[in-house]
Amino acid sequence: MKLAVVGKGGVGKTTTAAVLARTLARGGATVVALDCDTNPNLGISLGIGDTETERLIGLRQSLDDGTQEHAPSWASLVDVFGSDAPDGVRLAVVSAIDKPEPGCPCCGLSPEQLLRTVAFDQQTVVADFEAGTGTLTRLEEGAVDVVVLVVVPTAKSVEVARRAAELVAEKRLGRLVVLGNQVRDDADLALLATAFPEADVVCVPYDERIADADRQGLAPLDLAPDADGVRAIAALAGSLAAPA
Amino acid sequence: MRVAFVGKGGAGKSAIAGALARLLARDGEDILAVDSDPMPGLSVSLGLGVVDAAIPWDAVEEKAEGEPGPRFRLRRGLTATEALDRYAVTAPDGVRFLQFGKTRASGAPLMRSQWAFRQILDGLPPESPTIIGDLPGGTRQPFFGWAGYADTVVVVVPPTSAGLLSARRLAKLASTEDATAAPGRIVAVVSQARDDDAERVRQRTGLDVIGSVPWDDRVLAAERDGHSVLDAAPDSPAAAAVAALADRLVERRTATALADRRGGA
Repeated sequence: MKLAVVGKGGVGKTTTAAVLARTLARGGATVVALDCDTNPNLGISLGIGDTETERLIGLRQSLDDGTQEHAPSWASLVDVFGSDAPDGVRLAVVSAIDKPEPGCPCCGLSPEQLLRTVAFDQQTVVADFEAGTGTLTRLEEGAVDVVVLVVVPTAKSVEVARRAAELVAEKRLGRLVVLGNQVRDDADLALLATAFPEADVVCVPYDERIADADRQGLAPLDLAPDADGVRAIAALAGSLAAPA
Repeated sequence: MRVAFVGKGGAGKSAIAGALARLLARDGEDILAVDSDPMPGLSVSLGLGVVDAAIPWDAVEEKAEGEPGPRFRLRRGLTATEALDRYAVTAPDGVRFLQFGKTRASGAPLMRSQWAFRQILDGLPPESPTIIGDLPGGTRQPFFGWAGYADTVVVVVPPTSAGLLSARRLAKLASTEDATAAPGRIVAVVSQARDDDAERVRQRTGLDVIGSVPWDDRVLAAERDGHSVLDAAPDSPAAAAVAALADRLVERRTATALADRRGGA
């Protein structure tokens, strides 16, 4: 199964991707978490800490200045530009760099090309996309199975999410799951329900403990596994893993 | 004064930039607010809602082969100032608002509109209008020349681990990109601030923190409803913090002008 997590910047894509990846791994899946964002922060939410996350970013940058050797294959990419995260998740940073070598597996293939061309076999892939709809516009049918569209109850986030949902439908990019994040009250719920009348919106309540985890640079699953927001995302992982 | 706002996605760049633009305009400045994000944002925070205006593709024309410089230039006979009069939208408090256009599922490609946008900004006279610019979130776009107009780059930093990491990356990229930039060109504003966050951001990013904007329920409600915080909660601490930021930026401009005059004398 290949999952893409998309949405406007700051809506909780990375938190969602991290909780999904680790929960799926706990359920027995072999999970690769792909950080496709050019500003990669997935490591922090997975729980490897900001120092290790920054080291991985540095490795990608070193490709640009020529001090880092390229990885000649997908397997070595995951090896070189990755790190072991809790619960057996393997994190790989595949974000675009400034000076890619065309066709090179570690930098010359865009995240959307990687998703299409790599044989992931039995691996479950959770891809944390760049904010906005750019990657979706370049994604082809069959590259992913499920698109988790994260939206918070703000006018701007809803506007971006509606455009993203249009793209998913128009390009037949797979099953669309709308995840309404940071929902505080009925007014928030009403905004999301009105914006996505067709979709069954998965509701994730606002949770101060997730905000605390973000401030401290810790994985929400480690700091507050019982938080309502974390449980709601974990429940989604369970339903995604269950056979349809 | 030409200010560009950068930072992690969702940091609050548009909300702060939009309110700042309007507060400066209320003081009588000629303000141009520019949005170089292909996703909607700044227009909402100015109080205009979602604006579909775009710079038409024929605002630029392709240069003849062999001519130096970029591939497109503004159409012959169209100056940057005229283009602004034609394509900018008027927002509350008299702010003029310019965007190249927004990505739609099946919309026209924006490449030529983006060229026009860049050429208009490059072609404006150096003193006026004052420009307040909103860049897309993340660490990518600023370094492709989109903040070229800015004499001040404001990194908006939410006090999260990812926000701080993004700010450090932006500060480093900006300084390597433009080694000739005046010291102090890159500064930080803390968003969603609590307690001692400003000091924490200063320590962890090494940037001069020139503002700190607290978020409260009224800011959240304004964001939900797609309003400017100036309209939805004019007496909120967030609105007051943006007003203080406006004062600070004007002070900085005055100080720079004085230093230049002394240096020139």
